[in-house]
Amino acid sequence: MATAVGIDLGTTNSAIAVVEGGRPTVIASAEGSRTTPSVVAFTESGERLVGQLAKRQAVLNPRGTIYSAKRFIGRRFEEVDEEVRTVTFDVVDGPNGSVRFKVHDKLYAPEEISAQVLRKLVDDAGKYLGEKVREAVITVPAYFNDSQRQATKDAGKIAGLEVLRIVNEPTAAALAYGLDRKGHETVLVFDLGGGTFDVSLLDVGDGVVEVRSTSGDTHLGGDDFDRRLVDHLADKFKNDTGIDLRNDAQALQRLSEAAEKTKVELSSVTQTQVSLPFITADSSGPKHLTETVTRSTFEQITADLVERCLGPVEQAMADGKVSANDIDEVILVGGSTRIPAVQKLVRRLTGGKDPNMSVNPDEVVALGAAVQAGVLKGEVKDVLLLDVTPLSLGVETRGGVMTRIIERNTTIPARRSEVFSTAEDDQPAVDVVVLQGERERAADNRVLGRFQLTGIRPAPRGEPQVEVIFDIDANGILNVTARDKDTGAEQGITISESSNLDTSEVERMVTDAEANQAQDRRLREAVDARNTLDSIAHQVEKTLSDLGDNAPAHERARAEMLVSETREAVSDEAPVERVRELTDELTQVLNGLMAAQSSAPAPPPGGSSATASDDDDVVDADFDRV
Amino acid sequence: MTAQGDAANPAAGTGAGATPPASAPDRDIAELEDRWLRAMAELDNVRKRHSRELERQRAAERARVASVWLPVLDNLELALGHASDDPFAEGVRATLDQAVEVLARLGYPRHDATGVPFDPAVHEVVTVQDDPDAPPNAVVRVLRPGYGDLRPAAVAVSRQRE
Ligand SMILES: Nc1ncnc2c1ncn2[C@@H]1O[C@H](COP(=O)(O)OP(=O)(O)OP(=O)(O)O)[C@@H](O)[C@H]1O
Ligand SMILES: [Mg+2]
Repeated sequence: MATAVGIDLGTTNSAIAVVEGGRPTVIASAEGSRTTPSVVAFTESGERLVGQLAKRQAVLNPRGTIYSAKRFIGRRFEEVDEEVRTVTFDVVDGPNGSVRFKVHDKLYAPEEISAQVLRKLVDDAGKYLGEKVREAVITVPAYFNDSQRQATKDAGKIAGLEVLRIVNEPTAAALAYGLDRKGHETVLVFDLGGGTFDVSLLDVGDGVVEVRSTSGDTHLGGDDFDRRLVDHLADKFKNDTGIDLRNDAQALQRLSEAAEKTKVELSSVTQTQVSLPFITADSSGPKHLTETVTRSTFEQITADLVERCLGPVEQAMADGKVSANDIDEVILVGGSTRIPAVQKLVRRLTGGKDPNMSVNPDEVVALGAAVQAGVLKGEVKDVLLLDVTPLSLGVETRGGVMTRIIERNTTIPARRSEVFSTAEDDQPAVDVVVLQGERERAADNRVLGRFQLTGIRPAPRGEPQVEVIFDIDANGILNVTARDKDTGAEQGITISESSNLDTSEVERMVTDAEANQAQDRRLREAVDARNTLDSIAHQVEKTLSDLGDNAPAHERARAEMLVSETREAVSDEAPVERVRELTDELTQVLNGLMAAQSSAPAPPPGGSSATASDDDDVVDADFDRV
Repeated sequence: MTAQGDAANPAAGTGAGATPPASAPDRDIAELEDRWLRAMAELDNVRKRHSRELERQRAAERARVASVWLPVLDNLELALGHASDDPFAEGVRATLDQAVEVLARLGYPRHDATGVPFDPAVHEVVTVQDDPDAPPNAVVRVLRPGYGDLRPAAVAVSRQRE
């Protein structure tokens, strides 16, 4: 089936997303970035550039580089007076009072420019998906009128796309959060991007989304915050040195980049260092800019920008006849809503409500558009709903711990197996205890069942191979089988209640595991350390008996003493430090003995025997002797 | 083994016993087979997508790690611009060359040539200059070198003549 995409056709940047495997994901551009500048350039030599490449040559070609086409699309020339003054290219009066961009004596309609951006997005997406993209959902601001919507649709047509639907940006954001599937709610969408600010109030629920009111500021965004920081840093530097960095193209470039980086950092830390060594020089030598910027300084110099968001929010609430108490959900959209002061303002205006921001705010609109495209194409209809295991499943192994075989959240049907071995020499049978849960200690988990596999041929510990297979079918019925690889003997159990836990029980078990995570990890480490120590002691004993009289007397005495200490430490469950200490000492002794062994004339020992237990995936199981 | 055989028998028995819709189980089998094939195909596609995605993530992560070192390189280079030609500065210069070489080996060759025509694939114009000696649209000065796909060179370009 042909894939339909969702496109956030932005003023500054655009993004494209697709539903893959039931989930929407943003597709990176050919240049590897998740957004593409909404910029198109016509060069002197007649070349056409779109996106990042167009933006890079803007300074050289200010009259041939078209940006912000979205501010002009579907509008009449007489309406765009203000906008015309803020751009570097020529905007002229077109047929029937429409808007045209004039580049090298040719006229372009805004929708033709937007079409170029759309073309680039779908071409790049097509390369990623390995198929041509023909259908799309495109988003527009909620305040766009019919003519602006129609022109955006035309842009899609010019780009060779079938536009399945034009969707409001705030609506797409609500779809990305799946709010339409919930009951009736009033939702405030707060969108502060790079250069524009939009507020919308939505009525959402039962599969329908309606816009109650909208407001905003078409010239307010993250770029304004950047400029404040540039000025702050440049002013300080000028005070200290008398040099204005804003007059030096190279210095200004570095300063602008540093300002945005600083702003972004201050969203997660409360202070950061701007370091621009060798930023400039005068007769006295090189000059460096190093400055600590705190979040509170940043908040001071941008306080009025944040306050400018207040009016439009109040306006939208008044127009929608909604008070702070009526708002059920708040959604943050646009990269600039990551600024803590902005979030604080939103909370203040909505009665302290925690806003939704778990979906990346600069991608949420494109993601929601992709969801809409998926729904329109019926892509979500035919997916087989697959179950998952609510909790991990495993067996009890040596030291009373749980060894997981199927991790929680594994999609079923599933089959996993692991090979275990015996813990004692000549152990004739193993007990398989089937466990469910997330805790490390076997006793803290639920026992689903137990059985015994008997008839294991006498062999040194660690040698028999018992394969334990866990198989869960689509109905959640668990079959556990243990098979002796040597004799082929097998034993098993069928457990049908592995999946019929109610959600609160599952939640309790997961929360328990989280709460006890640190303690459980220590327990696991201790058991693992003791098991390691026990294996080494066992090897030392074996080597000693292999060596017989060839073992140097003092080495033997020391080894025997350490082995008996080890037995004590293991049975007393000695602290990890003590266990590690003994492990180190015993390892040394073992190395010494093995050296003696290889120089001794005695029967050639299996040099590999020392490492056999680590060689493959064999886990020593705590199989009680019968 | 035997249990499986037993379970299959009664099902086969009822299927054969019903007279007219002999095609019904056939249809079921066909549908199940179709679903199974689709599931296998989807699995295969997921696997392919995953390996492609892994490749992409690896490249992106390498680029991210390499990028954060660029300012360090830039500053070292700016510092050397103020150094004289003593053996100490020579040594530091050799160190810088080494770093540039490392980046080239990682797949990010340096772009710092002047006199070449402006190319948006590797250059970003920061400023435009009048330079009667240079052809129009040529790189007359490199304000900051570029490195492969990590970053275009920031350049000054000679003005286009109208
Ligand atoms: N962590 C952050 N903290 C503060 N600002 C951020 C953060 N991350 C991104 N930004 C800012 O978000 C802005 C970009 O946001 P976004 O991608 O939503 O804008 P856009 O869609 O291109 O703009 P517009 O919608 O106005 O056309 C930039 O100004 C960027 O610096
Ligand atoms: Mg935006």
